[in-house]
Amino acid sequence: MAAIDWGFSINRPRTIDIDNNNLRKSDEILREMPELQCCIGCGACTASCTAGNLTEFNFRKVHTLVRRGEYQGAYEEMNKCMLCGKCRLLCPRGINTRGVVMLIKRKLGDF
Amino acid sequence: MNFFAPFCIPFMVGAAVMAVALVLKYVLWIWHLPRADRKLLVSGIFTVQSIKAVGEVISESLLHRRIFKVNPLLGYMHASLAFGWFLLITVGWIETIAYLGFRYVPLQGHVFFKYFATCIAEHKPVFDFLMDLLLLIVLSGVALAWGKRLYSKAMGMRRTTKHVLGDRVALSALWFIFPARLVAESLTCAIYGGGGFLTGSISSFLAEHVSGSLLAALYEPSWWFYSSMLGIFFVALPFSRYMHIFTEIPLIFLRRYQLRPREKESSYDNFEIQACSRCGICLDPCQLQSELGINDVQSVYFLRDRRYNRLKLAVANNCLMCGRCEAKCPVGINLNSLRQNSRDTMRNIPDESRYGYLASLDRSQGEGRVGYFAGCMTLLTPRTLSAMERIFAAAGEDVWWADRNGGVCCGRPLKLSGETDSAKKMMRYNKELFYKHNITTLVTSCPICLRVFRDEYALRGIEVLHHSEYILRLMRQGRLKVDAAGGRFTYHDPCELGRGCGIYDQPRAVIEAVGELLEPKHTREDSLCCGASLANTVINDAQQLRIARSMSAEFEQTGASTVVTSCPLCKKTVARGSSLPVKDLSEVVAEHLA
Ligand code: SF4
Ligand code: SF4
Ligand code: SF4
Ligand code: SF4
Repeated sequence: MAAIDWGFSINRPRTIDIDNNNLRKSDEILREMPELQCCIGCGACTASCTAGNLTEFNFRKVHTLVRRGEYQGAYEEMNKCMLCGKCRLLCPRGINTRGVVMLIKRKLGDF
Repeated sequence: MNFFAPFCIPFMVGAAVMAVALVLKYVLWIWHLPRADRKLLVSGIFTVQSIKAVGEVISESLLHRRIFKVNPLLGYMHASLAFGWFLLITVGWIETIAYLGFRYVPLQGHVFFKYFATCIAEHKPVFDFLMDLLLLIVLSGVALAWGKRLYSKAMGMRRTTKHVLGDRVALSALWFIFPARLVAESLTCAIYGGGGFLTGSISSFLAEHVSGSLLAALYEPSWWFYSSMLGIFFVALPFSRYMHIFTEIPLIFLRRYQLRPREKESSYDNFEIQACSRCGICLDPCQLQSELGINDVQSVYFLRDRRYNRLKLAVANNCLMCGRCEAKCPVGINLNSLRQNSRDTMRNIPDESRYGYLASLDRSQGEGRVGYFAGCMTLLTPRTLSAMERIFAAAGEDVWWADRNGGVCCGRPLKLSGETDSAKKMMRYNKELFYKHNITTLVTSCPICLRVFRDEYALRGIEVLHHSEYILRLMRQGRLKVDAAGGRFTYHDPCELGRGCGIYDQPRAVIEAVGELLEPKHTREDSLCCGASLANTVINDAQQLRIARSMSAEFEQTGASTVVTSCPLCKKTVARGSSLPVKDLSEVVAEHLA
């Protein structure tokens, strides 16, 4: 039976195996931008996001996955960002989000 | 008369090396100019611009008029060295002609004329006097330069540039050239007689107190020393900051022909970069320096690093592009454009399919010949947006809302980060959107957007206005009335609006229609940056806050009860740093609609 299209979807269940993920890039990123570790995952960045308003792009999700060593597609996703800077103004932890976007793109260009 | 002595060799070699290096550099740079720039050059050369350029060369390269404006003593120091030396050469030339008539004299003959002229019996005291006077002027400049190293505050500079080794060599040689000349000429006069009030009196002192044999023993070495200092300076010149002495001249001409740094690095940039004298005037205005103590990213260091190919991304990116230094630079170097095209060179390789999602997107709303572009930042400051709604309604304007329900960024933040090509995609998108809706006026309340709309979009047939200009126009046309309710306001000039677009008076006129305007200490061209500039992706939140606090303190000192600004980003930032309420210009107007 075909599923009803509600216009919404839920994330597929997934396991992130931090023990087996290669965290080298993630460590590099966190070394250059240690403040990213104090992200509380509030999602203010994503809620305000200009690009996220127009696409599926989810800044919080991408940088969280990157920190866990899941790099696949991060570069392409980050490339949707317009660097408009709204997220930086809203982030309650004062994270330099635009710096994060640029750093992740620089580090993960070949994933 | 024979115009050669072995001691001339260091000077001759130095002068030859310098000449070859200079010619090579300039020819290569001009050769590599982009085709469009070469066209501008060719079409400009035989116009009145060339004559104007000559005038500017005299007033800037020789007299340093703009440095005088920064600080008279500093201006005198530069002018006495440059113009003094220039006159020393010219008058020296005339002197040789006066003595020898019009005949060929090799270069070293002019430079070391005092040495070769000892066999001439008659003296022309006018020249002795003039040459001594000029030497004294140059020496006073050298003394000031020494003084500046020791105590820079006297010249209105809190900080001076930290120099690299090559510069230090050249600088030391330069400092010694004129004292060495004084010694050599005085010794010569002590032995052979002659000399003006300076060399003459020193020489009679020497003749009285120093034995003849010692004078004779020092005589040749003193000329060797003078010649060597000249030689070292000339060899170092093309590779050190002193390259600016000559480079400013072609730069002035090229600028008159409308050449400018482009959004990609180009050969023209060399002229701008090497025209920097590393005077360090750009250090003091920089808030990264004064508030955060960061002292290796300022324009002087940026240009230096770029020139010697050792620019680091962290340096290129660590700048607010506030334009405070650019406004003060006596050479008028386009510091922001150069910084931006460096970032372009150092950017990551963009993904070609980037921003594919923009295609066929249109969330705009309403109908009207006047379009309103809020911009990302205004969407984050909804009070500004609703104030604009009320203003439009009060004026009875039909408005097309470009991005009230979410739109595409103007592209300037990307450009500032060096992603020039990607920014073009957004710019194309927005431009097409504007044309599709047939607007004739585009109003924006964000100076960041305004800047790029004006400078890069080339919106033919659409007038681009900042909301401050638009509101003032409505008021002058009588379409918008405000009550002069009074109140004490102070105004913050956003960098992009003030120094960026030259809009200072319009917001002030609007505020004055409502209440009293009190200016902060730094205002207009000299206004401070709020610290949250999108151009800087390096400093962290605490550092941004520190800048915001220090600049906001000036508003509190004015005694105003409200801070007004006309940039949504500045509004958010100043509000964080200030204890006073901070409002956008549109809010003040909307609150006082009559
Ligand atoms: S800077 Fe990028 S991630 Fe942040 S709000 Fe703008 S588009 Fe979204
Ligand atoms: S707004 Fe800041 S703290 Fe919240 S999820 Fe985004 S990055 Fe993390
Ligand atoms: S950029 Fe301008 S102000 Fe700064 S050191 Fe160079 S010439 Fe001087
Ligand atoms: S543009 Fe502003 S932040 Fe950048 S170097 Fe100049 S004064 Fe400093």
